[in-house]
Amino acid sequence: MSEKPSVLVIGGGIAGIQASLDLAGRGFQVYVLEETPTIGGRMAQLDKTFPTMDCSICILAPKMMECFRHPNIKLLTYSELKEVKGSVGDFHVKILKKPRYVDETKCTGCASCTEHCPIEVPNEFDMKLGMRRAIYMPMPQAVPRTMTVDRENCIECGLCAKVCRAGAVDFTQQPQDIDLDVGAIIIATGFDQYDPSEIVEYGYQRLKNVLTALEFERWVCASGPVGGHLLRPADGGIPKKIAFIQCVGSRGRKLGTPFCSSVCCMYATKEALIIREHAPDVQVSIFYNELRAFGKGFQEFVNRAREEYGVKYIRSRPGEIREDPNTKTLTIWYDDTLTREIKALTGVDLVVLCPALLPRPSNKKLAEIAGVNLDDCGFFKVTHPLLAPVDTNVPGIFVCGYCQSPKDIPDSVAQASAAAARAAEAIALVQVQRAPGGTA
Amino acid sequence: MSEFEPKIVGFLCNWCGYAGADLAGTSRLSYPTNIRIIRLMCSGRVEPAFILSAFENGVDGVLVAGCHPGDCHYRAGNNYAEKRVEKTKKLLDTLGIGSDRLRLEWISAAEGEKFASVIKDFTEKLRVKGPSPLGGDFEVEAAAVQHNSTESIHDIMKRTKALYCQECGKCSSSCPITRLDPLYSPRLAVEKALMGLEDAVLTDKGLWSCLTCYLCRQRCPLDIEYDELIRTCRAKAAANGIEGNCSHEGVLYSLSRLMAHPKTKQNRLDWIPPGAEFTKAGDILYYVGCLPYFNTVFDDIGVKNIEIAQSMLKILNAAGIKPVLLENERCCGHDLSFAGDQESFEKLAKMNTTALKKTGVSKVVTTCPECYRTLKVDYTELFGKQKFEVLHASELITDLINNGKIKFEGKLDKKVSYQDPCRLGRHMGVYDAPRNVITSIPGVELVEMERNRENALCCGVSAWMGCGRHSKQMQVERLTEAKNTTADLLVTSCPKCQIHLNCALSEKLPVKKEEVSIETCDLSVLVARALNLTQTSTAVEMISR
Repeated sequence: MSEKPSVLVIGGGIAGIQASLDLAGRGFQVYVLEETPTIGGRMAQLDKTFPTMDCSICILAPKMMECFRHPNIKLLTYSELKEVKGSVGDFHVKILKKPRYVDETKCTGCASCTEHCPIEVPNEFDMKLGMRRAIYMPMPQAVPRTMTVDRENCIECGLCAKVCRAGAVDFTQQPQDIDLDVGAIIIATGFDQYDPSEIVEYGYQRLKNVLTALEFERWVCASGPVGGHLLRPADGGIPKKIAFIQCVGSRGRKLGTPFCSSVCCMYATKEALIIREHAPDVQVSIFYNELRAFGKGFQEFVNRAREEYGVKYIRSRPGEIREDPNTKTLTIWYDDTLTREIKALTGVDLVVLCPALLPRPSNKKLAEIAGVNLDDCGFFKVTHPLLAPVDTNVPGIFVCGYCQSPKDIPDSVAQASAAAARAAEAIALVQVQRAPGGTA
Repeated sequence: MSEFEPKIVGFLCNWCGYAGADLAGTSRLSYPTNIRIIRLMCSGRVEPAFILSAFENGVDGVLVAGCHPGDCHYRAGNNYAEKRVEKTKKLLDTLGIGSDRLRLEWISAAEGEKFASVIKDFTEKLRVKGPSPLGGDFEVEAAAVQHNSTESIHDIMKRTKALYCQECGKCSSSCPITRLDPLYSPRLAVEKALMGLEDAVLTDKGLWSCLTCYLCRQRCPLDIEYDELIRTCRAKAAANGIEGNCSHEGVLYSLSRLMAHPKTKQNRLDWIPPGAEFTKAGDILYYVGCLPYFNTVFDDIGVKNIEIAQSMLKILNAAGIKPVLLENERCCGHDLSFAGDQESFEKLAKMNTTALKKTGVSKVVTTCPECYRTLKVDYTELFGKQKFEVLHASELITDLINNGKIKFEGKLDKKVSYQDPCRLGRHMGVYDAPRNVITSIPGVELVEMERNRENALCCGVSAWMGCGRHSKQMQVERLTEAKNTTADLLVTSCPKCQIHLNCALSEKLPVKKEEVSIETCDLSVLVARALNLTQTSTAVEMISR
């Protein structure tokens, strides 16, 4: 390590961003590896955050920009990790930078190429509810502000290249191998959403008025596919009754996951509030099992939803959702477990399923490459959950955010700072050991 | 050696038969003392179940005596008696007991002499005929495996994973029974068990309301085995002398239990259609199940169940397969097992397994999903892995179609909907095979009901238990759903679904007939029709009513 000591951060979500900024602020050279074309991660997809009801992208975008502009941070977006070798203080990392077919140094993000592209495909950032072009930027606040060509869907008509005044479109780009030497690695790969279509009685993907929570976040977001209007997905009508179902695939023993995703009770409350703010006459019900409002200000937040906003909390996991084939309006059958009555909530215009949030399946590959351990559920294992909550079994590799265990944004940020501090400490220790007269 | 003295049970009507016997007594007429008289208000009260139950208890003959035709004090009770005795005679013939051990006589209050002579004659004939094959000592060999009624409620909870219950109410809000009758709910059953209230669990009437249709288990996030919990608790309750409300007065249980007698020698192969072929040794065995009995018992609602067996045999023959048929095949025991009679079930299981093993077949095919589940899952649980593979007809027919063994010529222009039987669908996970068979018939269009596959609604009754208002409501609901698909034909692959749905159609319903009336048909019968293997289409006859 002749130059500045450096750290590789895998994952450009809020945890990865926080760890990178912490380390860069201390003078470390930080590389942020992100597999999608933009950093921001899941938080960028959210409309608002609990319990403060901040606009999510409004508080995240400045941090994303800070990452981009920081002299000590280099963003490696649209890239994959290929190989990790070496040990703490001296990791050799191979990264594959996938071709964007757009020159990052030339593209200004003016989007005139997007306007001319004839191909429309569902936008992954909008949970496939909205459309994007084959040359695209996933979201307006994308960082880096660079277009990407999706070659799977591109028909190579060349229109984008013709209209680009910066001459940035370059179809000759090839995958690029990048070799890095870093002193420490931080893993922050976040989560994936469980696909609830397996739970057939809830009719996800069969019934049009059933959405998942992340889909709903995009659905009501002002920059989302319908511009933030509260609509029925089936026909664009105005909803009068909306219901949330918790624990869809979580805390189970058959389908989904055995663990509690820890954020659903709170984000459902938050989304209920968003609905009531959009349209105060909409009746909102939340079907919960155990209301886990465990954090600071959380119970108060739920109380406010109940008292000020009139959100109805029903203790039950509904049995099934049935649809009126003509109106597409839904009926939810449930057992009100507090009164022991079997009831039907009729005339529901929109059901939001709160699915289990899973550690990413790609963690397995990452764990193999980096030699770190996963637990049975696919989370990264730490050496001691109480006393070493960010240390993996490999010295010099740390972990933070949802990929370590279910947690919300504040906890992810706190853990990211912890991982940054531990990474800095590990590098410092190696430096001391290798200094003349050191032990190594 | 003392001469054989037959035991006879006489069901006599209060007004004629019994009065006739009384007259015989007061007239000091002598007649053999072999008869034990049971007085009923009317011979129309005599159910086939009563007669079979008498044979089950070891009698050698049964006499039913009522008023002469036209003299019934309740207008037509003796007409019913005549029909029922006729039906029971058929059952006795199939069972191998012999219809001549059952006698129906019209004896008026003035015919004391006739009564005495009938008894004399009947006793004499039975004496010549010898004892009933099922008479004598009814104690048979010990059950194959110790049945688990001794398991504690906590152990049952542990085994069926009920200890994981989060009391979320998903089961109870899914349960088709709870929706109609809130007194029963799977959640409350588990809750009572969790609280250790063993008596409350076992004496709960709801214990017998459960359809074990698997919908709650299918949906339970914790994978609690409600069906197994209910089955074990029923066995435990039965061991404590608590019984459920069985339908058809328990005639089908009696039949199964009579088949569990080791000396039973049935005549169950009289249904083989002319020209059809089967063997005694081969590779594939067709396990017919209780179809020959159902055919007799449910004759009056217009379901000809034996057509299923005839169709299946013809399909197999058309594919060049001569299946093995067991001459003395016994009931698989499914219904007894789910009705709490674990002991008889285990006897049947042992005898069937032995008989199947003896044939050396490699495949056993069933047309009944309950036999399928029982042979494949329950027998394996009792005796370990079997040497033969168990297939449902839909699976075998799919194979035959895929291998080109059977080919459909011509078209069958029908719009068809499919009822998933709970044992085949949710219990065993076979959803696609029957659908593949239906859609591979040229001209047939498959339209799904609103609730299908995993979400399908049960036909309303299972294990001949507690058929009542709720069952009928479910059947009406299901038939309406089928009707809404605009299908011409409702196909199922379970003989019992067909029986139950047709039973609803044969009764007075709170809805207009045309709103629910739909032709029903078994999958095998549909295939045989598409292959032009059947001349008559009973399915059409059936519901044109």
